Amino acid sequence: MRVGEEIPELIKHPTARQLVKYAGAQGDFYEIHYDQEYARSVGLPGVILHGLLKAAFLGQLVTDWIGDGATLKTFEVSYRGIDLPGHPFHCRGKVTRIDGKNVELEVWGEDEDGKRTTVGNATVELS
Amino acid sequence: MITTAEAIALVKTRIGVDGPEVTATVEAGHVRRFVEAIGDPNPRWDTEAPPTFLVAIAPVTVHLSDAEVYGKGWLNGGNRFEYFAPVMIGDQVTAKGRVVDVYDKPGSTGNLLFIIFETDYSNQRGELVARLRGTMIRR
Repeated sequence: MRVGEEIPELIKHPTARQLVKYAGAQGDFYEIHYDQEYARSVGLPGVILHGLLKAAFLGQLVTDWIGDGATLKTFEVSYRGIDLPGHPFHCRGKVTRIDGKNVELEVWGEDEDGKRTTVGNATVELS
Repeated sequence: MITTAEAIALVKTRIGVDGPEVTATVEAGHVRRFVEAIGDPNPRWDTEAPPTFLVAIAPVTVHLSDAEVYGKGWLNGGNRFEYFAPVMIGDQVTAKGRVVDVYDKPGSTGNLLFIIFETDYSNQRGELVARLRGTMIRR
């Protein structure tokens, strides 16, 4: 492992069904995530992904990479743009710092045009 | 419609004041539905809660309902999790949150109200397992 190394990409394919499942599992029933008419009435192009669903995708990116023995210490995500179901969401990351067993990562989510709609970072402690 | 200044004054009265505690058991079935919903098949989540599951214990806006008198909707600006101990299936987790800051910024369609909140999650042994710091925006 070295600083600058990219971790394996995770591509998610969110669907309207997934947004409904996530709304139920998280208990977030804000209508912009499943009611097209409501979403448009508040100026959105249609229903959008929950920010925290995108955070969960990026969490999966990190926990897939670190494996079982390692521990996630911090995980931060900022939502810069909206993402729509029916479009792939690319989860990517790279190593930004290595200090003994502690590794810092930059993580981000890209839409299909390569625009970073979601940015963040994580700190992990390797076993 | 309440003004920005009135909304800020109202939410400011909540700064530093702990909201109502929410306690829930981390149920296997709930975690299974959550990992199915996010599409994460990692077997680690058979016994442990995945990193963002804590937000399913209590709505992130539970301590922020005062702000709903302002604007027409919520936006999630960001979330930062700090983890101190794993959350295992069967744990009883208590969420306790508070507003830590509130301010406004002009946006493209009017003023945006930013509310920074913090939620502490502790387990049945009283151990702090995680802290969530988030930015919710009213627009």
